[in-house]
Formats: sequence, structure tokens, C-alpha cells
Amino acid sequence: MDDLFFFDADCRVGSGPVIGIQPGVKELLAEMDHFGIDKAVVQHGSTGMLGAAQANLQIAEMLKEDTEERLTGIWYFLPTQCRELPEPDEFFRQMKENRIRLLALNPYEHQFIPHRISIGKIMDAAKERNIPIFLREFSGQWRDLYDFIERFPENIFIYCDRVGKWGHDRKIRPLLENYSRFYYGMSGYWVPEGIRDLADAYGADRLLYSSGFPYYIQGSGMTQLKFCGLNEKEIAAIAGKNLEKILSEVQL
Amino acid sequence: MSTPIWKQPGTLAEQFWKNGKLDFPVYDMHGHMGSHYAIHFYRHTPELMAEHLRKAGVKHLAFSHHHVIMGDMRNAAVAEICKRFPDLYRMYVGIVPAFPENIKEDLAMFDQWTPYAIGLKFLPDYYRIPVTDKRWEPALKFADERKLPILVHTWGSSQYDGGPVMLEVAQKYPNAKFFLGHSLYGNWEYAERLVKETNNNVWLELTAIPGERKNIEMLVEKVGSERILFGTDLPWFDEFQGIGGVLSADISDDDKRNILCRNAETILGKDW
Ligand SMILES: [Zn+2]
Repeated sequence: MDDLFFFDADCRVGSGPVIGIQPGVKELLAEMDHFGIDKAVVQHGSTGMLGAAQANLQIAEMLKEDTEERLTGIWYFLPTQCRELPEPDEFFRQMKENRIRLLALNPYEHQFIPHRISIGKIMDAAKERNIPIFLREFSGQWRDLYDFIERFPENIFIYCDRVGKWGHDRKIRPLLENYSRFYYGMSGYWVPEGIRDLADAYGADRLLYSSGFPYYIQGSGMTQLKFCGLNEKEIAAIAGKNLEKILSEVQL
Repeated sequence: MSTPIWKQPGTLAEQFWKNGKLDFPVYDMHGHMGSHYAIHFYRHTPELMAEHLRKAGVKHLAFSHHHVIMGDMRNAAVAEICKRFPDLYRMYVGIVPAFPENIKEDLAMFDQWTPYAIGLKFLPDYYRIPVTDKRWEPALKFADERKLPILVHTWGSSQYDGGPVMLEVAQKYPNAKFFLGHSLYGNWEYAERLVKETNNNVWLELTAIPGERKNIEMLVEKVGSERILFGTDLPWFDEFQGIGGVLSADISDDDKRNILCRNAETILGKDW
């Protein structure tokens, strides 16, 4: 238990006009050292305003600072019709080259409708290759989230919330119950020993430690998990092993 | 990797990581009890909350019952719950302006609820009644006369319990001890002013802040750790998350001890 392996599913780096000056890769790595976090998934913190193509370039460039390869990146995708990003096969080849193993979408700021006719092609390709779809922009948009997942029920999803601190079991549990490839990253989920209750109901293999850095601190979720009442094996799974396994199955 | 905070010998972080407890009592100054209309939390009963609190080394939880401040349960019934857990629970008498007769009766009962009743609880934002409204006056006067704590739910952007109205009442009732629940969340400038422009009768309470990166550091910098109280809104938020959030902050162990333990003892005594 003392040497828990932690893999943070939800970090952002990079600055922007709205979010201001935020930590870069060096600062994130230093903070991971400070708390004893081994690895992390990162995206550019200003993807909404930068746009998918530019944010993808920038996060790939930033990841070069991580010489020990502790970070794994997220790239954003868009409807395929406008040809702003390469075709899926080429896109995935570039992902592999740049240590990117997750996809995400921001239909709100990037102004598109996340339907089968707009993004079905890339969602299907992601499903075939076990590439997880990281869901953060749907934070708090529960009706949209439900509709979106219903359209693509066989994809792998990692949902991390950051909006509000009111426990949202009433919304998250139906998703855990109905979609076996839906994983819950628990940034900002602070319900007392709620981690244990979710694991008891849906299995510890469906839950992921995630911080929400740089808005949330990595340490508090670590103590919350360590003392949530689950056994050592379950805690280790949530701390990092589940995410490690999901990402090891990605085929790029 | 350098040595993580949880492994640095002799620190509070190391102690908590190892044992899930600290070698001093933690006081949670902002709690509730009972089910909530919008949130599922399983551990809301006196028994289950007690188990969670004891596991985390919390000596006292000062709370107001959800069904008092969001329903029509009476404070007398809460005192009965406290009596069943005399070493653990302390109550804020919930003040609901919609029931003025209840306020009168409950304040008259206050002394009979010693040592359980330690102060009053206001929730102005939820009722949309500014804390400066005359309907709060009987309770404010009562607390002022007896130098009692009032835990007020405060929110930076609120016209009901935000900065300007809180400053007005904290100055008008200089002997009441105002615990600003959530530290006037988001209006940090007024949080600082409330502490500095009053009669040393204001403390910032942290619920919802531990776990946020850099905010505890910022508050300690503004008002000093002596003016900050720990709280979790239990059963809303996990004690291990909350205490872990304080321990994760980049402040000294002395500051952490002030927040988690000493300040409550300074206000209420060692044996409250
Ligand atoms: Zn509260």
C-alpha cells in the first residue's frame, strides 16, 4: 500500500487568454513528484479557445519536455467533413508518434453537433482501436452526455467532472450501470467514502483516480482514495492500474 | 522522483498518510446531517457519520441538521441526537426566519442544550433573505449578547450573504463570533476585509476549499492561519479528502495545526 502507483487521469497544462498563466509540463512533473504521482494524462488547458488543430500541435510540442515519458496526451477531434484534421488512419499514426493515446471533443466551443453523421467515422475507428474518449467538456451537461453516449454505446469513455462539487451519483450511476466501457475519473467527487460505494456497486475496475490539476490539487484525492475503505488491491486498481490497462490496450 | 510529501519524516502529511489520523484532535466546524434533496450521500445518518468521523480522528463535528435548516424538524430533536453521541457531536441551532416562533422558543432553550449547542446557523442565500434583514435580528442579538458563534453560509457573489452585507452585520454585532462558511467563496478581497475591518470577531471557514489548488495558501497569506477554521459540510464531503486537502497545501505544519485544531480550541476552549 505504501508504494501505490498513481496514474492521474485528468491534468491540463498550458496558458491562455481566459485561463491566464497556468503550469506547464515542468511544473506538472514537479507537482507529481511532490505528491508521488507516477504518470498522468494531459491535455492543453486552453483547447477550447485554441481550437483542436492548434491545441493538438501545442500539446505534442509540450510533451517533448517530458523526457522520462511519464505523460500521455489527449488530442481533440472535429467533424470529418471539413477536413481540418487528417483522416483517421493518418491521425492515429500521428498520435502514436507524439505519445497521444486518448481522444476528446469539445462540441460546445468548437461548435459542432456530436452526432453519428458528423463524427461517426472517427468514433467507430476509435472503438476498433480501443482509444478512450475523454469526456470533460460535457461536465455538467448531463442530458447531452446521456445522448452522446447512447449514440456510441460501444466506445470506451472516461468521464471526469470539474463543475460543481455537489455529489452527482444520481447522474453518474445510471451511466456506470448501463455502459460497461464507461469509466469514471473522480476529480472533484468528494462524497464521503463514496468511492467505496461506487466500487461495491459497479466494481473497482470502473473507477479512476484523477485530480483535475491545475484547478484541484493532486494530494487530497490521494488521501481520500487511500482511506475510502476498499481493500489494497481495489485501491491500487483505482489509483493507477485500471488506467494503465486501458491505455495498454490502445492500438495505434 | 524526489521524496513525496507523504514520505517526509516527521511531517503531519507523513503521519496522516500512514495512519489516516493525526496525533492531535481535528475539529470539523461545518457539518450537517440527514438526507438532502439534490444529492445522494449514503453516509448521512448519525451512526454512519460517526463511524467516518472517528476513523479520520475528528473529535467534534459542529453541525446543523439538513431537516432543520431545509425542513421543519426542530432543534430539540437534534439535541437528542447529540446526547446519544456526547463525545462527538456539537450542534449549531438552526435559525429559520420563516418560523419566528420557533426561533423564540429555541433561543429560550439554548442553555438547556449545553454543552451540545455551541452556536447558531444561518443559511441566508438559500432563503433569499439578506443577513441584514430584520428577521435575523433576534438571533443576531442573542449571539452578540452571549458572544456566541454563528456559522453563516456565505458566498462571494451572493446579495444575501456576500461581502458587503456580511461586513455590515459583523460590524454591527461586534461580540458575536462570525464563522464565514465557505470563506465568502470567490470574493477573497472581502474575506480579508471581514477579518481585518471587524472587532476580531470573524473567522474564515474552509468548506469546499480544501482540494482546490493554491486557495488555502492564498487565504493564509491574506489573513493568517489563526483565522481559518476547518470544515467539510459532512455528509457532503469526505473527511480524508478535506484533511488531505489542508495537508496538501503549501503552508507550514504549524499553520495546518492551527486550521485543523488549535483555532477551534482558542475560540471554544480545550474541552468544548
Ligand atoms: Zn453547509
